[in-house]
Amino acid sequence: MTLKEFKLPDVGEGLTEAEIVGWRVKPGDTVRVNDIVVEIETAKSLVELPCPYAGTVADLLVAEGETVLVGTPIIAVAPEGADVPSPQPAAEAGVDEAAAALAAQPSAPDDVAGDGVVEAGLIGGAAPGGRTSVLVGYGPRTTEAKRRPRKGAAAPDGEPSTPSPEGPAGRVLAKPPVRKLAKDLGVDLLAVTPSGLGGVITRSDVEALAGAPSPRAGTSPGTSAAPVRPGGETRIPVKGVRKMTAEAMVRSAFTAPHVTEWLTLDVTRMVELVERLKTDREFADVRVSPLLVVAKAVCLAVRRTPELNATWDESAQEIVVKHGVNLGIAAATPRGLVVPNIVGADAMGLHDLAAALGELVGIARDGRTQPAQMAGGTFTITNVGVFGVDAGTPILNPGETGILALGSVSRRPWVVDGPDGEQVVPRWVTTLALSFDHRVVDGAQGSRFLADVGRLLSDPATAMLY
Amino acid sequence: MSTITLAKALNDGLRASMEGDAKVVVMGEDVGKLGGVFRVTDGLQKDFGEDRVIDTPLSESGIIGTAVGLAMRGYRPVCEIQFDGFVYPAYDQIVSQVAKLHFRSGGRLPMPIVIRIPFGGGIGAVEHHSESPEAQFAHTAGLKVVACSNAADAYWMIQQAIACDDPVIFLEPKRRYWEKANLDREAAPAPLLSSKVVRDGTDVTVLAYGPMVKTCLESAIAAAEGGTSIEVIDLRTLSPLDLEPVYASVRRTGRVVVVHEAVVNLGIGAEVAARITEQCFYALEAPVLRVGGFDTPYPPSRIEEEYLPDLDRVLDAVDRSLAY
Repeated sequence: MTLKEFKLPDVGEGLTEAEIVGWRVKPGDTVRVNDIVVEIETAKSLVELPCPYAGTVADLLVAEGETVLVGTPIIAVAPEGADVPSPQPAAEAGVDEAAAALAAQPSAPDDVAGDGVVEAGLIGGAAPGGRTSVLVGYGPRTTEAKRRPRKGAAAPDGEPSTPSPEGPAGRVLAKPPVRKLAKDLGVDLLAVTPSGLGGVITRSDVEALAGAPSPRAGTSPGTSAAPVRPGGETRIPVKGVRKMTAEAMVRSAFTAPHVTEWLTLDVTRMVELVERLKTDREFADVRVSPLLVVAKAVCLAVRRTPELNATWDESAQEIVVKHGVNLGIAAATPRGLVVPNIVGADAMGLHDLAAALGELVGIARDGRTQPAQMAGGTFTITNVGVFGVDAGTPILNPGETGILALGSVSRRPWVVDGPDGEQVVPRWVTTLALSFDHRVVDGAQGSRFLADVGRLLSDPATAMLY
Repeated sequence: MSTITLAKALNDGLRASMEGDAKVVVMGEDVGKLGGVFRVTDGLQKDFGEDRVIDTPLSESGIIGTAVGLAMRGYRPVCEIQFDGFVYPAYDQIVSQVAKLHFRSGGRLPMPIVIRIPFGGGIGAVEHHSESPEAQFAHTAGLKVVACSNAADAYWMIQQAIACDDPVIFLEPKRRYWEKANLDREAAPAPLLSSKVVRDGTDVTVLAYGPMVKTCLESAIAAAEGGTSIEVIDLRTLSPLDLEPVYASVRRTGRVVVVHEAVVNLGIGAEVAARITEQCFYALEAPVLRVGGFDTPYPPSRIEEEYLPDLDRVLDAVDRSLAY
């Protein structure tokens, strides 16, 4: 028979001992959980102690009038049914007091008594109701915190507790990120038709208007609260990236004498290479595009004509030829034009270059390009082809000697040598435009560079020659 | 690596500091023979003697005033205020002397005093025993205010606070004293005055400290079942605030909920919300929402669970944030 011993608890005044004043039960009595079994006197007061066990009182371990230390067993209780043979294995029958006390509680946790570090009733030990004993208070709950059952999931925009947006008359309603977007895109929020709940302007409302060619004149349905101003003009403050771009382009165009050379060529083999690499398992994790091959071709061509990878040092009256290619990529972003560069692009294999290119473009699109990533470029590629144009006259990134514009790659008629002589067939064709600083290089080097790039694109196998 | 309760971790941390520096003294009501009402100083007087673990009279003003004198003479007193609501008799000593002496003396008299305060509710106690007075101290220049939330942090933070030459109000989440955590005594601890991302998430950033960190982690688990990903940041230091990790998080999630037990009105959450609004304005998809105690005195213990922020209150705020 396993007896449960109830140890004198610390009753809440921080005392270490108490006198047993009087027993309320005697051996043989039946007790239930929380029945008062004893009255004790501490230095501060008389306290009645409830029993944490149900069962039959087996023995009173301390006589009335004795003073005992906290933690001394004072009463032994035989649990209910303990006088019949226990159905439990011996190992389980030896659970400690805390478990027994908690067993009487519907939501008793399992882990409190687990390692039996602290006795039930002592500070930090188990207390009735799934709590931990403390000197002052019922004790913190040891039971799991649970979420109350939810009343049917409210639709996000129908959540009644959300304050309905209501602005002062004549003011537009938009979240801060949408206001930022509108500012970046040069959209006047007053001209936007709100589609959000309660007249709130959403991100797509702003984007829709930014995509429109001109301020709307009478195109909006009469539901719009925003005043429509026919004609007129939008004045956009020049600042941030726009201001930087403007300054850089003026500086470049009016200091470096630009020469631009053009080359239109058949790049069918490059397109085939791109398609092949796209299905190559090694390139599965990166983006393969014509821009990648052009980037590689530029890095190779620089080896034969390093003067294109140089800078004009006006104060020193020197031409500084750089020994590595920090390849700038002009990227159109929501914030404007940025030209981050890939440091050491010429030393990269095609896969690494693709990965670097993807990362750089991703960062730029997110508007997270750091100034350091835009400094120190030595040559730039601008991929105007993505806008569907043939090419353009690129303006040098200040401090650089060469910039290559890549036009759109499209199907065009092309004269090729066939088995029956010359014939016109549809081929993948693109146009390259190279601008260079005539202070640094002459037409000979510029032309050789452009021709080299062209040869690498029309026949990528010639890369073997480098 | 060992599993240890928060109270024991503090006990071990205090012991380590006392062993490492003979100038560290522990003082407070019942901290000696009894070992503190929460047993945080259990056994220290037995091992370090009555001169270094001092049972003081029931006078909080006297405890802190004595500590000021000790600090002037080169000691590093660690004072226990038995319960949050008992600190007010010492408030004048703390804000007028402890916080100002270093400044007033032109840097000649540092006040390396730690004032340990078990704070917050949830233990079913009577009034004065469940309060969250952190904002009152965070509002006082010259004090550092930190709050630990788990055993591992408690072990390191108490030692770092004692080693700190400035006065530190050290808030201990009393309802979490018996919560266990793994403690790696070899690992390098995070700096005392730093916040920490304790759960990664993508949809809403939830900020908490002290006892509410666990509540918020439980909320995050419940929310994950519903498909909402909550990032939980333990602020750890309330003065000074370390909000760079918070800004980084908010710039990703665009939504923030600040949770504390203290009343919302003029609480720590108000300052945090203001700073986030300043630093992350264009990233905010919703206003910074606060969850905290109601603007009443702490209620009788039978209804404290209605007062304390819980999973439902936190998740309701998360839902409101997502609804914008």
